[in-house]
Amino acid sequence: MGLDLTALSRQVRQMSGAAVGGAADVAARAARARARFVAAAGEEATWARAVELSRETASWLLARPVEPLTTVRDLPALPPAYAIVATDGSQIELDRHGGVACYLINIGRVFIRYGHRPSARLDSRPTLYYRDEDLYLSDGARRVPIEGNYLSARRDVDEGVALAALADEYLTDDLPALALQDGTLVRWALAGAERFVQDHFMERYLAYLERMRARGISVASYISRPRSPEVVGTIRLMLCPDVDVAAGRGARCSECSDVRAGREPSCSVCQGLVDADVLGEQLAEGQRGPLFASMSRINLERYGPHLIHFFHMRVGRELCRVELPRWVADDASRVDQVHALVYDQCARGGGYPVALARAHEQAIVRGADRRAFLQMVEGSMARAEASAPVSAKRASKEFRRG
Amino acid sequence: MQRIAEVIESSTTRFTAGAYELLEAPPFGALVRAATRSEGLVVYGLVYEIRTGSKEPGGRAVVRGRTYSGRELYDEEIYAENPDLAEVLQTEFSALTVGFAEEGRIYQYLPPHPPPVHYSVYPCTPDELARFSASCDFFRAVLFAAQIPSDELLAAAIRAVARARPDGREYLVQAGRELAGLLKDDYDRLSALVRRIRP
Repeated sequence: MGLDLTALSRQVRQMSGAAVGGAADVAARAARARARFVAAAGEEATWARAVELSRETASWLLARPVEPLTTVRDLPALPPAYAIVATDGSQIELDRHGGVACYLINIGRVFIRYGHRPSARLDSRPTLYYRDEDLYLSDGARRVPIEGNYLSARRDVDEGVALAALADEYLTDDLPALALQDGTLVRWALAGAERFVQDHFMERYLAYLERMRARGISVASYISRPRSPEVVGTIRLMLCPDVDVAAGRGARCSECSDVRAGREPSCSVCQGLVDADVLGEQLAEGQRGPLFASMSRINLERYGPHLIHFFHMRVGRELCRVELPRWVADDASRVDQVHALVYDQCARGGGYPVALARAHEQAIVRGADRRAFLQMVEGSMARAEASAPVSAKRASKEFRRG
Repeated sequence: MQRIAEVIESSTTRFTAGAYELLEAPPFGALVRAATRSEGLVVYGLVYEIRTGSKEPGGRAVVRGRTYSGRELYDEEIYAENPDLAEVLQTEFSALTVGFAEEGRIYQYLPPHPPPVHYSVYPCTPDELARFSASCDFFRAVLFAAQIPSDELLAAAIRAVARARPDGREYLVQAGRELAGLLKDDYDRLSALVRRIRP
């Protein structure tokens, strides 16, 4: 028996009913959070300090304000010509029930130049990883398999390295240029990793950012429909009865005075809200909101001069998040350029950056290609007379037995 | 002449080529030449279909004349504003195999092997077209080819040959006679064809 759709449909109906009920509640709480946020305009330094004081003891994510909280920047003028490079990756992980241990990372690469002399190059580069050092990370004593989150981390790093190579290859004149990545620049997947695993990935990733900085090519990443609650975390501090910046006291969630007094925590207004709920209202088409620095631990501890900043931008009905390293965020003209170019990419792409959509098309491995790859592996192993038996579990799944 | 396309699908009776430049295919009815694995042997085909679409199987183009910000773009402007289009769209043309040349001699019947996939396709010069048209034997292959607009194709090919030859007018008369012989028991079809090549 496969999926029991009759049983499922009842649950789906219940779920959509609950979602409708929740929407009104979210809107009301978002309005309250927004009112508190707007009221804090002019106190940016205070709240930046509160964020610093609370970052070890608050149990939520935080963002440090870098610009006035009520910043609304109109879309800057688009340069008459510009160039963009972008990468995106996909991976195929041969499951451990298969015959041979390996994984494939396919990186889609895009270069597009607009304006006079328009041109474009799209391609993809597959790499097969099968050597011991590709499959495991080791510090001598321990061996950590590269799979799941760590495989994603490797792909993210490969995307960055490929982006630097693209920049070297194509961004050779002084046209305004941008290197765009999909998703976040903060390598969250490594946050809980062991030190030597972090070192392995972060060194290569930061080297890529450093290369781009040395070349003077702005790096940014684009997040469609962001779900992060970092600015909301900062609003929680504004609502927190325990925060007293003058006395040098931040939020301590483990000793929350509201909880101890048997009340609901004052910050519970923010429960389940995301930054877009709060920041979306005041931005019109093409406008961006204030810059923040992401205060996640891995960002603070690892990124140094590349500390990841972000702003939100209105593109149609969506509020997207654009991330930038510190050396881009610190330079107002670069921020304007990123703002204008990313918006232009979205406009050309009907709401999502063309370069990223193209990179994704190049990177994706479709069902037929995937099967061809798996057959290629099996065929080649058989010809090489390497024994590659599949596990009994895998074999049992190949057929439905009578 | 420079190669213009590359064979991407090939069979004994016809082949399809992808053009190197988007929207740059030889015209309908043009004679093209495909290289083969043996140096002295080339295969001739008549272009009977030209199409442009997504390189992605099943992919389709989307309308782009009205931008997100409400700007109107027309025709060539759309390509200039979206340089990536040239990378994701492809122009292809299919040709009906009508003969081959081996060591300089032209044969108007099917070659022993079709041109291999990925081999080059060249346009034919007027001289080459005139040389190929020394005989009318290929008319039959075109007229009786299935699932292509064969009468239109033959008429277009005959007009192109007439333009390429100094004795174009006489060629048209000669071609008309040849067609009369081939279609002697189908007057309607013959007259429709002759009207298409009338000088």
